[in-house]
Amino acid sequence: MLKSIFYKEWLKLRLFWCLAFVVHVGLVVYMLLSIRSTLLASGVVETWATMIGRDVLMVDSFMYLPLVTGVCIALCQWLPEMQIKRIRLTLHLPIDDTLSIGSMLFCSIVGLCVLFTADAAVLAIVEQVWLPRELVWRTFLTCLPWYFGGMLGYNVVSWCILEPQWKGRCVNFLIGAPIVALCFLSTQPACYEPMYPWLLLLLVVTTCLPFYSVYRFKLGKQ
Amino acid sequence: MANLKFQISNLKYVIIALAIIMLAWLLPALYELVSPRTDKMPFVVYSCLDSTFIRFESVNKQVHYVDFRGQEFSKAEADSLLPLFAFRQLVAEGRLPDSLYGVALTPKLIQQNAFHFKTSPKQLNKPAVGLYTMLESASGRVDLQLPPDVFRLTEEGLEFIDCESNTVNRAKSLSFSRELTKHGFEFPVQLIWGNGTTRKDYDNGFLLTDSNNRLFQLKMVKGTPWVREINHQSPVTNHQYTNVFVIEPANRALIGLVVTDDHQLYAVRSNGQLAHVGIDAYDPQNMQITIVGDLFHWTITLYTATDSRYYAVDARTFEQVAREIVPDPERPFSQRLERWILPVRLRFTSWRTQLIAPNINDD
Repeated sequence: MLKSIFYKEWLKLRLFWCLAFVVHVGLVVYMLLSIRSTLLASGVVETWATMIGRDVLMVDSFMYLPLVTGVCIALCQWLPEMQIKRIRLTLHLPIDDTLSIGSMLFCSIVGLCVLFTADAAVLAIVEQVWLPRELVWRTFLTCLPWYFGGMLGYNVVSWCILEPQWKGRCVNFLIGAPIVALCFLSTQPACYEPMYPWLLLLLVVTTCLPFYSVYRFKLGKQ
Repeated sequence: MANLKFQISNLKYVIIALAIIMLAWLLPALYELVSPRTDKMPFVVYSCLDSTFIRFESVNKQVHYVDFRGQEFSKAEADSLLPLFAFRQLVAEGRLPDSLYGVALTPKLIQQNAFHFKTSPKQLNKPAVGLYTMLESASGRVDLQLPPDVFRLTEEGLEFIDCESNTVNRAKSLSFSRELTKHGFEFPVQLIWGNGTTRKDYDNGFLLTDSNNRLFQLKMVKGTPWVREINHQSPVTNHQYTNVFVIEPANRALIGLVVTDDHQLYAVRSNGQLAHVGIDAYDPQNMQITIVGDLFHWTITLYTATDSRYYAVDARTFEQVAREIVPDPERPFSQRLERWILPVRLRFTSWRTQLIAPNINDD
């Protein structure tokens, strides 16, 4: 049954995943080309000096992409389910509701993880040809809260959409939006180190929240 | 299953907890937006003529010149009382004294002895890159040039990385590490500071401490390492260095400032001797420091969480000449009200650090 759910999710979201993949690859390639063109135009020595002395890592254009991806996938995944209450069909499958909803969430979270890991890996592999490992690691640490923002964005939007009442959706959004905003408080490179345990905790907690919306849906809240 | 459903229903308490945490963060932020803080730090300079500090206070876009006795001066009077600070204006008006304390004053002499240093906990507490630029300090050219490499610190020494090829320059790394070891330096490096910018008149290289808390100066002179140990028979022998700063004043009298774990500030003279700076205590983690130096005195301002401390020290001996401690004025009503209506204030940014971290009631 789980295999069928995964397959259904793939059929539903494959177009979006392909689009997200193309956009992510495009932006990573753009960032790498812009770093390369700066290295060529300004000189390697000057570019390194700017990156070290002025904390410029040239990855700012990537900042909101993980969030946009997370939000879009939540919309594409759950809006069709909530239209004319199609989710009832999923909830009537002969497996536990938590398992069926959990497997749907799992599919997207794993997809986002793969996408973000691929971004980080491509960026690191290419950057390490031009830059010392300290700057490559710093770039990764700078992007890491943005990846958290993408995952949290997915969880929060899923929680909002699955909520059966509009009033509840608004409340969920008011609580969830600041949680996501926590990942975008500063553009200073690598400044989120003390926050990683808290962001991880928030990620785990917000992953549970869509289950509460489904629980309320099953209680018949309208 | 019933047990699991019970647990899911309990998620509402998690949601309530999340809402409370977010409110504890958002409400103080909104309050601050509505009633913004206007903590103005006045600029203060010591007047050697009047033996007093003169504050530059901006009120309604007008600058008032006031001393700590409450006496107000006109702009022209303030210029006269601060001839080394306002020398350009005095020269333009033909009012610059010929000499002061037996020293013939020339604009060049005043300019050469003017010195400015400023740092704050926020500037110090930020994630370090771990890469440093060693400039050539004796290139024979007026302008400093960026070197073709940067270096990192390892357990065994320094490692220079060539920028063009992104590979380690083993010969240079070995040469600099060996030179340090030859002078008694024991790796790994504990503290390091250098000004990697080329926008300065000359280069004093790096100040660095070793694993035995000994202080060294390292420079690159004509492509080769130049190392000197800073007087370790000093009053700091029993204390750990907590901060080192390299400075490059125009008169080349100093190479840096160091702070020890008992919060004492020392100036590193260009002859490699340490001189205690006569201020009570400077804690770089909790105080912002500004030093405005001239031919005769340094005005040192320390901003703490509760007061502002002003010191004047002799520019040669660094002995204290004057001191003024001004407690912060009582918090305005809006801030007291905020503390009363919002007893728990969660912030993720702080005046102490550039790192993002949860802080409770850290105003």
